[in-house]
Amino acid sequence: MSYYDIDAILTDAEKIPCTFQLDVPDLGYLDNNPTHALKTGTKIALPLWLAEMLAIANTGGGDEDGGKSFINFDLPAALSNDVVQALKADPRAVPLRDQSAHFYGLATRMMDLSDERELGDVLRKSFVTRASEIALHARKGAGGSGHHKGDDKGAGSNLGVGASGEEFLRGLDEWERRLFRKAHDGTKAGKEWMEGVKRH
Amino acid sequence: MPMYGDLGNKLVQHAKRTQNLSALPAYQTELVRSVTREVRDLDRDVASMLEPFQGSFDPSENQATACTLLVNHLSMRRNKRCLLAYHRTRTDKLEELVWKGADLIDLSGQGMADGGMNGNGNGEGVSSGGGGSGGGVMSNLSPQEEDYVRQYGDLLAAYKGQWTDIDLTGSLEPPRDLFIDVRVLKDAGEIQTEYGAINLTKNSQFYVRQGDVERLIAQGYLQKLG
Repeated sequence: MSYYDIDAILTDAEKIPCTFQLDVPDLGYLDNNPTHALKTGTKIALPLWLAEMLAIANTGGGDEDGGKSFINFDLPAALSNDVVQALKADPRAVPLRDQSAHFYGLATRMMDLSDERELGDVLRKSFVTRASEIALHARKGAGGSGHHKGDDKGAGSNLGVGASGEEFLRGLDEWERRLFRKAHDGTKAGKEWMEGVKRH
Repeated sequence: MPMYGDLGNKLVQHAKRTQNLSALPAYQTELVRSVTREVRDLDRDVASMLEPFQGSFDPSENQATACTLLVNHLSMRRNKRCLLAYHRTRTDKLEELVWKGADLIDLSGQGMADGGMNGNGNGEGVSSGGGGSGGGVMSNLSPQEEDYVRQYGDLLAAYKGQWTDIDLTGSLEPPRDLFIDVRVLKDAGEIQTEYGAINLTKNSQFYVRQGDVERLIAQGYLQKLG
């Protein structure tokens, strides 16, 4: 992940639910209330770039509350139990994009911040299952012309993908979209090269 | 309610769109100015917040102030990253376009052929574009970006100049034929070839050596036929 990576920066803008652990007079604006102090226990959704450091930073209080930080945070709705259960049931049936355009990026960042072993397992399995489905659609989409007799219906980029396939592809998160594009372009380039070889 | 960093995010969304475009969209002068203003405002806040402490600020005794300072600092850092990423995305694109042979006149979107087109002179177009761009015509580039393109073009020309028998920015496709048919889409003046001068007037057609006109095809003056 590079400092200049646009997708990483946009992932950093994803918001997670946070709870303030102290009163801050000057930060009322974060809670839509610039004239009032921010009270302990206020729940606000903060972008990752802000929440991460506030959660990690130590207030430097005395020894008795040594580990206390400015905020506590929870997992965002995109990684809620409902979503995890749905992914366990059938990873291909969940439109990840509706949860977050940077679903995996967000999940990775959250797992860096808190220890979520089970979540990691579910996500890994989800990605693998979905990746092979993505590869399948990418091959179909790129290889439409010529050799596959039955595949020629429909025009445009989603050649022969079909309605359910389109629905699945719409639900890809940003990382999966990149994977799809790579698989699609790779198949196409391979095919073009093979045709070029035949002609000479 | 808008919060610090929102404008920077808008800038990065622009950059994201830019990545998938072939041409460079207009420079977001206003947005860039707003984000830098935000950084200056935040910096002023931090300075005035720290002033009463006379350099002996103890975070553990003033936790609320420490928290506000951290939020301000993080907002500034975020804005910096957004600004840098936005500009870097654009300069990456500009470098790519310069390698493809676009010159400043094409990039500023005022591309009219007026002399300076003779021959495939490396970087000639880039340096001659300097005069034309000062006219205040609507350009998609900021003045700094125009300067960047000019200097990068000079740099590339100097680099290419080390090899006279190979064109580094030429096509990587091996040609099937040495000679090709081309049609002239825009008047491009006279070019010198090994076989004499050719006057490229609009809608005329020529049988020419591919190497002589490659750059003109890339710039859209000629269309390859067949």
